[in-house]
Amino acid sequence: MPPPPDTLRRPTEMALAWKLVTEIDLLRLKTIARLHARGLLPDISWEDLLQEALMRVLTGARRIPAGVAPVVFIAGIMRSLRSEYWQCSGPAPPRKYAASGYRSYRTSELALEDSAPDPERSLIAMEELRVIERLFADDPVVLRILDALGAGLSAEQIRSTLGLSKTDYDSARKRMRRCLLREGLTCRPK
Amino acid sequence: MPAKVMQVFPQAALERILQSLEHELIEATDEEILEAAHALGMKPEMKGSAAFIGLRHPGARAPSSWVGPELLRRWLSDSQRIGIATAPRAAKRGPDGRRPPRPPKEPDES
Repeated sequence: MPPPPDTLRRPTEMALAWKLVTEIDLLRLKTIARLHARGLLPDISWEDLLQEALMRVLTGARRIPAGVAPVVFIAGIMRSLRSEYWQCSGPAPPRKYAASGYRSYRTSELALEDSAPDPERSLIAMEELRVIERLFADDPVVLRILDALGAGLSAEQIRSTLGLSKTDYDSARKRMRRCLLREGLTCRPK
Repeated sequence: MPAKVMQVFPQAALERILQSLEHELIEATDEEILEAAHALGMKPEMKGSAAFIGLRHPGARAPSSWVGPELLRRWLSDSQRIGIATAPRAAKRGPDGRRPPRPPKEPDES
């Protein structure tokens, strides 16, 4: 039975009360939120990400499609919140280099975008990659899998490139999950 | 040692890795989650477990970040607010090159 409405409720409490997620799902979402909070500035915590994602579902701003598990959908919202954060807090818009001379009347057509990555974000990303590496520092197989994942390889490509059998690959994934879950459930600040 | 791809495009590499790791966490079974919690000395089965710090129990967040019943009722009955949440994002900068002003905060918002 949902709790009485005249008490303060966190979105996580409401999600439990309305049976949107189970308690184990909440723990799973906590680990995912801590993951997606990586690389964000300190003013955005994993709690902010998760509470905001849950609030969007609870208020109806985002509706769970039929056949989609709530945990999967909420994880997707957190992923898009992360993108929204970077889009809203990013640097000035990309510089455009206008054409010179007699072609200036076609400036807008010939303008080139500076596609160089934002230096600050690159530094933050590099640091987060190092942190992730340190999580799996004792597991060279997992580190090689992470390298391949970062390069955009699929599971089959990774197994083929690294010479891993399906059993070895699944075993490495299990070790990866165990490590991620332990880090994600910890109470350490992000 | 990170691959060259990570060094040249760290943001893209980080996003791909996070997406893959997210998939792993979604795939994690309930047993794996409980095993990890127990390894940390937590007992999620018990009320007030440390596993739920930041979820059911406050972490470092102030009570003002919680949703009160009045604010929730206002949100649920304000179709315009829900519309704002799903409306297209406003332009970053106006014609004068300035950012548009932010909407005023709710009294209960921090």
